[in-house]
Amino acid sequence: MSSAVQFYVTILLIYLGVDAIACLALNLQFGVTGLVNFGFILFQAAGAYTAAVLTLGPSSANGGYQQYIGGASLPFPLPLLAAAIVGALLSLLVGLVGLRRLRTDYQAIVLLAVSLIGATIATNQVGLFNGASGLSLVPHPLADVLNLDPISYAWVYVAITMALFLLTWLLVHRITSSPLGRTLRSVRESEAVAASVGKNVIRLKLTAYVLGGAIAAVSGALLVEFITAWSPSSWLPAETFVYFAAVIVGGAGNNLGAIVGAALVPVAFIEASQYIPAFGRPGLIESVQWIVIGLLIAVFLWVRPAGIFPERRRRYAKPHPAGDGAQTPQSEPVLPSG
Amino acid sequence: MAQAQVATQTMLSVVDLHKDFGGLHAVDGATFEVETGAITGLIGPNGAGKSTALALIAGALKPTSGSVVFRGNDITTTPSHQRARQGLVRTFQLSGEFPRLTVLENLLVTAPNQRGDSLARVVLGKWTWKAQETRLLAQARELLGRFELADKEDEYAGNLSGGQKRLLQIARGLMAQPALLLLDEPMAGVNPTLSRRLEQHLLELRAEGLTILMVEHELGVVERLCDHTIVMAQGRVLAQGTMMELRRNQEVLDAYLIG
Repeated sequence: MSSAVQFYVTILLIYLGVDAIACLALNLQFGVTGLVNFGFILFQAAGAYTAAVLTLGPSSANGGYQQYIGGASLPFPLPLLAAAIVGALLSLLVGLVGLRRLRTDYQAIVLLAVSLIGATIATNQVGLFNGASGLSLVPHPLADVLNLDPISYAWVYVAITMALFLLTWLLVHRITSSPLGRTLRSVRESEAVAASVGKNVIRLKLTAYVLGGAIAAVSGALLVEFITAWSPSSWLPAETFVYFAAVIVGGAGNNLGAIVGAALVPVAFIEASQYIPAFGRPGLIESVQWIVIGLLIAVFLWVRPAGIFPERRRRYAKPHPAGDGAQTPQSEPVLPSG
Repeated sequence: MAQAQVATQTMLSVVDLHKDFGGLHAVDGATFEVETGAITGLIGPNGAGKSTALALIAGALKPTSGSVVFRGNDITTTPSHQRARQGLVRTFQLSGEFPRLTVLENLLVTAPNQRGDSLARVVLGKWTWKAQETRLLAQARELLGRFELADKEDEYAGNLSGGQKRLLQIARGLMAQPALLLLDEPMAGVNPTLSRRLEQHLLELRAEGLTILMVEHELGVVERLCDHTIVMAQGRVLAQGTMMELRRNQEVLDAYLIG
């Protein structure tokens, strides 16, 4: 592979890892627990900012041309860990306000409003994260230790991303295939019935929300540490709907679906549209992208609401006639009709 | 024989319960008791406040005033999930199942004190909860067998017929290990054959010591099943006793029994 191709491939793989991690988080919240988190992107952004300022060093660095709070130069992977904690705390705060008393549709509105407020503050409060210009020159983690050429370094970063992706998948899979996952799905199906059989619905929703928020934050942190820059234009509240499109297209409630959705929508679709020859006025293609994202959601909800990989129906092994009964839940895809 | 009962225990007391929706007094000073080990019927014309009373007892609604005492504890302000954990479990008139969980999962999810419901244990791995899950699976299958749903265990609960959903709700209620089961019109929309079988199930459960409070419109069912019946009208308790006594009560006849 030529170095240009290699570089391109590594970038795609890193985007894929980051988006797959984000989609696993959103799937846990939306697909499994039924939380319509229209503020999802805020938590990815919070993670990115946290990791960025904790890597950049004090804001007087680089000639003090950027203003931000909480600057430090923590070694990798502490900025990622800090991002997860900030994502979790922010989710807890937002969740305690937004998820406690409101019905699902109102929750969605509140969460969208929170992400709009977040974007507005980050853009206009320049002292916070350098306003609309955002943060740049974030040093690559471990770059000074590894001392590699850019392409080798990119491959190392691919490995880091994939390791974190696998770790996330393992964590989310353990949850969704456990009794806790079943309980979260019961909350999605009916909060009233879940409460009537003894489930603490608010606590369960907060668990999924906080966990999803922490994972989303890690995905943002992972991205900013590689692309070394982050500004409000990368996380406009509408970006949330790209992830929703991915989860819906892939199959809400199915982790594999979330990963495939991440590969298809934010990676393949957005990437492919860059090869469309320019036409019309500048920015037209981007606008068309948004229309297509909206159409994707609408068409899938209309034609195939369960997505490409529908949620698996959990079947439990029947007890052996002898009665030793290995009781592993076996997931089988529901056969698509027709 | 019924009059010769000695030292009955009270499972549930509802004291001067009120629930207003705006200007409407849905429950307007209802006071009654449910005895341990008995099936108590709650009847009355439409709009009498029966289902609201049931929702207040289960904790789905908060009363405007009054109190609910369950096994000696005032639970008036206790959230519904904690009431369920204390053994006060309800079924719903409509949409009482988790539609996109299988029939078996509907039961499994209901079991109290599940080790695998803890995030920490789930992260540690399956070995922390698998043994309990195996026991629950056996318990759930036994209940499904008893309620003639064994061959439906892998079916999504949302795909069951109306009658099967009623059976599922009762089976699931039992999985929650209730002391008092609240049934909201368990026979509504159920065909006569299934209705008879449901009656049989409820009598068996009583024989096993379960206490039941049921809202029911079908008076024949109430007569056959209920040891004690409470008649509500306009949010209050109009009368109570056995159905035989109630049939002789002129007030009850005027308000309800002969329309």
